[in-house]
Amino acid sequence: MNTSPIIEFKNISKKFGDFFANEEITFSILPNTVHSLIGENGAGKTTLMKILFGIYKQDSGHIYINGNPVSFKNPLDAIMNNIGMVHQHFELIDDFTALENIVLGDEESDYGFLNLNKSRKVLIDIIAKYNLGINLDEKVCNISISEKQKIELLKLLYRKSEILIFDEPTAVLSPIEVEEFFKIIRKFKEEGKTILLITHKLNEIKELSDSVTVLRKGKVVYEVGSDALDISVLSREIVGELETVIDLNIRGDVKSEEPYIELNNIVYKHEKASALNGVNLSVYGGQIYSICGVEGNGQSEIVDLIAGITRKSSGSIQMKYDGISLVPDDRLEKGMVKEFNTGENVLLRNNKSKYISSSKIYDTAKAVVDKYDVRLPALNAPLESLSGGNQQKVIFGREIELDNNIMVFVHPTRGVDINATAYIHKIILEQRNKGKAVLLVTSDLDEALKLSDKIGIIYKGLIGKEFTRNEFDESTDKRNRVLQNIGKAMIGVNSD
Amino acid sequence: MELTVTKKVKANILSTSISLVATIIILFVFLYLVGKDPFEVMQKMLTEVFGTGYGIGQAIFKATPLIICGCGLAFCFQASLFNIGAEGQLNLGVFVMSIVAYMFDDYLGIFILPIAVAIGFAVSAFWGFIPAYIKIKRGVSEVITTIMMNFISLALINYFLIEFLAVKSTVRTEKILDVISIPKLSVFSDYFEGSSANLTFFFAIALAAATYFIFYKTSFGYKLRAVGLNPKASRYLGINTNKMTVIAFMIGAGITSLVGLNFVFGYKGYYEYGFSNNLGFTAIAVTLLAKNNPIGIIFTALLFGIMDYGGLSVNTLVPKEIMLVFQALVILSILSFDRIIKIYYLKEK
Repeated sequence: MNTSPIIEFKNISKKFGDFFANEEITFSILPNTVHSLIGENGAGKTTLMKILFGIYKQDSGHIYINGNPVSFKNPLDAIMNNIGMVHQHFELIDDFTALENIVLGDEESDYGFLNLNKSRKVLIDIIAKYNLGINLDEKVCNISISEKQKIELLKLLYRKSEILIFDEPTAVLSPIEVEEFFKIIRKFKEEGKTILLITHKLNEIKELSDSVTVLRKGKVVYEVGSDALDISVLSREIVGELETVIDLNIRGDVKSEEPYIELNNIVYKHEKASALNGVNLSVYGGQIYSICGVEGNGQSEIVDLIAGITRKSSGSIQMKYDGISLVPDDRLEKGMVKEFNTGENVLLRNNKSKYISSSKIYDTAKAVVDKYDVRLPALNAPLESLSGGNQQKVIFGREIELDNNIMVFVHPTRGVDINATAYIHKIILEQRNKGKAVLLVTSDLDEALKLSDKIGIIYKGLIGKEFTRNEFDESTDKRNRVLQNIGKAMIGVNSD
Repeated sequence: MELTVTKKVKANILSTSISLVATIIILFVFLYLVGKDPFEVMQKMLTEVFGTGYGIGQAIFKATPLIICGCGLAFCFQASLFNIGAEGQLNLGVFVMSIVAYMFDDYLGIFILPIAVAIGFAVSAFWGFIPAYIKIKRGVSEVITTIMMNFISLALINYFLIEFLAVKSTVRTEKILDVISIPKLSVFSDYFEGSSANLTFFFAIALAAATYFIFYKTSFGYKLRAVGLNPKASRYLGINTNKMTVIAFMIGAGITSLVGLNFVFGYKGYYEYGFSNNLGFTAIAVTLLAKNNPIGIIFTALLFGIMDYGGLSVNTLVPKEIMLVFQALVILSILSFDRIIKIYYLKEK
């Protein structure tokens, strides 16, 4: 191809304190391609995109769009130049309808009066064209995550973006929704749009990308086109060297006689809608039980009930032991106080005395940091200054050290880099082998298959099908069929 | 791995200092525009305050209740409860405190002091409990309820005072016995001759130190601040956030009643309608300026005390209401500079 690049990054550097988030980044993206930007968490992908999008300003270097140097002062500037971005965390107003959310900031009006119908016509065409299946009049608080993502997408299409940036778009989607998402992306490409995909899922790259740029520790370490794409080379380039190798086959038979967690016919109603419709669930000591399913089918309600955050409407919950260790799904919102430092965050949960001295904070932090290999700028740095993976290690360490017999892990490796993921998996397995009851809630099927002794599929507030390890173990020949059945169960289709 | 002074601490000090400088500059320009010589006003004020022991004493006297009330408010603010009701809470507490004191001082003598203070504390704490309860049961913002409670509180006091308790043709209660009063500083040193400053000032300092210790050195304080910073996470961490809201509100409101030590026991010997003179609102500025840090509150309260007495002393040059302008400017500038510092110094967005 001899077309000139649509976006060029030249020597982009960005420092936070003494830390280079981006260092001399140079690469270019050709028009009408799917370009993947991959790397571990903290590799600098998101920072770079925020620079492109005018949220951050680079310390040095230049960005060229269609050969012209640009420097966006804010996201609006970028949007005016037909660049759109779907962030990891959606920015929607719950009480507005889909339509209101989409047009917000770019409304059509007649003599100062809002004219939603004009926009509606435009949007109906777009929805039909890409087969998005969105009800424009539904309030955003009532719709699923994948639909929210589509609304974010529609925002970009409505504003006629030609360059679309996606930050980890599939992290929150089920396998089937991912397929759907891929179709939409391919359609975009046919339309002549340019897509920039930030991800760390290798299969997505293989399936979609025309070209790939790998970032590691803020630098470009590897670039490759789809013709020469080799997944094993790619994964090595992303990680550098893998630090933790786990042997998943070390699992002793330590299953307890009685279940540690037992839910019987749990019904939970929330604002008239029923979130749980008679859930039965038993988790034994020495067992990893995974609840798998598309997000929003009742997983978080089960966790909140077990953790005692909310109360059930009916049914019974039996817990063999008091006190659970809980790693919640949203670490920033539920897992920590980001302004507090490591030691303070640990002591908040795990402290028996009435007084807290500086030395105690220091010692506590040091213990967790050493034992769980946390990397941080300074021992008393606020937790928000750590990378996602390291924050997760702190929360993990804190909960494991509580040494409760019941442990609940919710999306434990979401947004966590490959090394930290392997490490967290190792810890989870260790806890199982120590005889603890582990309840794992995940939407990452690979993770569930790797770790679980039993998988329960949740759909519309009900755990329907359960699968045991001997059904989906890698050694069994039925595995493919079982995997298909799991996939079907996740979207509520009855299997044979 | 070494420890570093967190940038946040530096940022806090920076934003407080810049706000003060900016406020003073605006004030100077303002004075100049109304045809006064700002330097003359400033000089007069400083010599009036610092030139005599009386001036210093009066500044201390004005600062004392601000420290106490500020500590109370800090309890609420640290838990992210924006208590605007200190004015009502402290008036009710001090009112009851002085009634108890003069009614039983004949029988109990000096022992009535702790009893009256405890009862006043409890009454204010109860007045703080109501908005806390409404908040956790019905989710009503404490900003609304505490403002409304101020009106109720002052109306109640007015009614009981005028109808039953006031000394004839005044708006004050009967005087307590002199033996129960808290000694003035002038008793110990002639330097403070004539000023109303009393030992309550040292109590206020001790209170601030104790409050600091609670916030930063106890498990309870950490939980309180955690609830303020991230209530959702606090629930998941196993903290009873509703209980924390109630405790913070009750202790905070209760502490505001202790300003009665300074006014009733240390100065007048009785409760007088309107004695607080918007103290409960001024203390909001004092506390915000100190970033809810009790040690900081000592200094910001002293600053406000100086400005308050200084304002009175230059009343012949400029109306003393200029000090209200000063307070408002401080709040506005601290809010704006916080934001600016966040963006340009901490590089947050």
